[in-house]
Amino acid sequence: MHKIWDFHGGVHPLENKIQSNQLPIVVMPTPKQLALPLSQHIGKAAKAIVEPGDYVLKGQLIASAQGFVSANIHAPSSGYVSALVERTLPHQSALSGPCIVIDTDGKDQWVELNPTTNPESLSKQELLNLVHSAGITGMGGASFPSAVKLQLKSDIHTLIINAAECEPYITADDRLMREYADQIIAGILLLQQLLGHPKCLIGIEDNKPEAIAALNLALSHNLGQHTNIEVCVIPTKYPSGGEKQLIEILTGHQVPHGGIPTNIGIVCQNVGTAKAIFDAIIKGQPLIKRITTVTGKAAANAGNYEVLIGTQVEDLLAFAKVDLTRTSRLVMGGPMMGFTIQDTQTPLVKGTNCILAAADLELAPVPDHHACIRCGQCEVACPADLLPQQLFWFAKAEEFEKAQDHNLSDCIECGACAWVCPSQIPLVQYYRYAKGRVKSINSEARLAELARHRFETREQRLVDEKTAKEEKRKIRAIAAAAVQAAKRAANPTAEDPIAAALARVNQKKQEQQTAAAPQSPEEVYKALKTAAAITRTKLKKTTTALANAKAQDHEQAASLQQTVDQLTVKAEAAQAELKAYEAKLGLDPEKEKMLQVAVAKTNAAVRKLEKALATAEDPQALEEDITDAKAAHQIATQALANHQAKPASAQES
Amino acid sequence: MQTLYLAIVILALLAIVFGAILGFAAIRFKVDGDPIVDQIDNLLPQTQCGQCGHPGCRPYAEAIANGEAINHCPPGGETTIKALADLLDVEAIPLDAEHGTEAIRTIAYIREDECIGCTKCIQACPVDAILGAAKQMHTVIIDECTGCDLCVEPCPVDCIDMIPIDVTPVSWHWQQPEQLIATSSLPHSHGESDHA
Repeated sequence: MHKIWDFHGGVHPLENKIQSNQLPIVVMPTPKQLALPLSQHIGKAAKAIVEPGDYVLKGQLIASAQGFVSANIHAPSSGYVSALVERTLPHQSALSGPCIVIDTDGKDQWVELNPTTNPESLSKQELLNLVHSAGITGMGGASFPSAVKLQLKSDIHTLIINAAECEPYITADDRLMREYADQIIAGILLLQQLLGHPKCLIGIEDNKPEAIAALNLALSHNLGQHTNIEVCVIPTKYPSGGEKQLIEILTGHQVPHGGIPTNIGIVCQNVGTAKAIFDAIIKGQPLIKRITTVTGKAAANAGNYEVLIGTQVEDLLAFAKVDLTRTSRLVMGGPMMGFTIQDTQTPLVKGTNCILAAADLELAPVPDHHACIRCGQCEVACPADLLPQQLFWFAKAEEFEKAQDHNLSDCIECGACAWVCPSQIPLVQYYRYAKGRVKSINSEARLAELARHRFETREQRLVDEKTAKEEKRKIRAIAAAAVQAAKRAANPTAEDPIAAALARVNQKKQEQQTAAAPQSPEEVYKALKTAAAITRTKLKKTTTALANAKAQDHEQAASLQQTVDQLTVKAEAAQAELKAYEAKLGLDPEKEKMLQVAVAKTNAAVRKLEKALATAEDPQALEEDITDAKAAHQIATQALANHQAKPASAQES
Repeated sequence: MQTLYLAIVILALLAIVFGAILGFAAIRFKVDGDPIVDQIDNLLPQTQCGQCGHPGCRPYAEAIANGEAINHCPPGGETTIKALADLLDVEAIPLDAEHGTEAIRTIAYIREDECIGCTKCIQACPVDAILGAAKQMHTVIIDECTGCDLCVEPCPVDCIDMIPIDVTPVSWHWQQPEQLIATSSLPHSHGESDHA
């Protein structure tokens, strides 16, 4: 008989196992629809490799593992993929996540399987590959991908098979051991082969005598072959099925803080996982089904059911004749560590070992909690040897650093402390909250560090770019200067090109001015006229502005007055200059105007008479008038022409 | 008299020797940079958003070390103010609303079919979290976006949205249980047990 040890703390809640462990496992018929979450294991979600509308066979790979810690997902039955949708996940958060929904066709047709007849011939790596491709995860509830757990590269001296099933109500492993003991032992042999034949200890609580007998019988079937497998019966105490607690019970060693069992040469696997490994390697079947307990007072047919992964809770509840009207709380998992689910469409996943349909008052209603009286019972109960009371204060005061200093991360969230608390303080919820906050604070710190690094790198890059640009510019300037110097050295007599260009421009300007100088008298006259007109307009405008300013009593009136005075002088000067030039040319604009008016008048008279002639009764008399008028027009035109011709003659003379 | 001179000479020599040791130590064990600035910088959220009026978290850390108020960082919010107050041993003061209010963390999202590839947001991003090239569609590297908001304003076609980060089963965590208020409880069951 193997020596057993004890772990600190622990509690003895009512077991309530008898309700569900009396009847054999019932295979639940294939439901109409299956929903398979892509993430039903710890680690990265698998990636769907089927599309809506695809036909899949039972056991066909439908989502492949992504990255190191991940697991494959297979179709649990044949049928059509109807959708890839978001469904409520079986998770405390009740958040939804992507699921592959399969409408089963009832044929339950298997994909071609590759069973192994002589597993002894397989190498470690081949076994590991089979475990990995079958998508096996820990069946005890945590759902850690088994292939990852088994391929850690350290020497393993002990394989522990967790058959404790310490949580109240759950009997899935109990029934599994009673009915499939041979397969479990075969699975353990495969595990031993995979791990290099360590000794194996099966830890089982003494409240499962039938299962113990079944395992011993299975071992005795092949006595001699299994000398290094031992069934270790341990006292019933919650939570002896916790990985670290079971290791301490069976070996007396503690897993170091922050470490994993492999650090002390131990691997721990659940009995369900051993069975799944048997199915995967010997039968070639991937993990598509499991045993789930349906229990609670609201369940008429409480018992264990072999269900397909992806079965929706409501289908299983209907099959087990659960009266939902009597159900006060629907818990996935056990009463100590499980979580309440609201959506009955939530699918069952690889790690779902129990559905507890509790009737009224079967589970204590969430109590109003009282103040901590510092009785210290939680410390006595804590199986991880922590100080729950201290952790509670720190979590409540949000002093997460101190909580971590008190080994918050070693809390296994078993709920023993809350169970014993006379003030009914939901201690585990406080620890979960603190753990969650610590996790998010750490991830934020990591992101902040990344952001700081990227910010600093970017700043450095910008500075570098700027200096590089400046450097380049300087080099270019030096090169250009050198080229210039070389040019000058080659041709010392050549003048500076800029000075030469300036000189050219100046010369051109001067040429233009001199070219423009000899103007005809008409052009000069025109220029003078324009200048006079401009000054007149300016004067007019400024005068108006001045008037406005004066009316509004504006302060600028005085300066405007000055401008007006100046402009008046200028305008007079311009007018005088124009007059003088006119005089010089012998022009008389007023007379010219008069002559022009006379020409226009005579012209108008001629037109008028010609119009009258068209309708006249006596054209003869009118025609004479027209001739006279035309003559007058002729004279006026002549006079104007003479007048305009004068300046030219005046200049000539 | 000779004793007096001897004493003066010995003291002077000692002063020179110790002075030399101190001087050497000051150079040999010189601390590069200002450690308090590093400590402050470590507490800031590194969003690099500039809401505090400084071009990044480190400049603000330097300003705090030089006496600026600790409540100018909206992304850090109360938590950061508390941590800074602890570090600097000053009183925690409420967030200065002039610099913004504490909001839930968001990340930038570029509506990719509307992006014209102008690269303006890339130049604005303080942490190089936007990927793209001229006349090519741009996209935000979600894991590296700090939600600083600086890329939204330069976008000429307004195709950048700030969206809150989704809670996933991985990022989700339990809330603190409701604080106990003795008077709010139903009196019957507990009252009875008290009498028992």
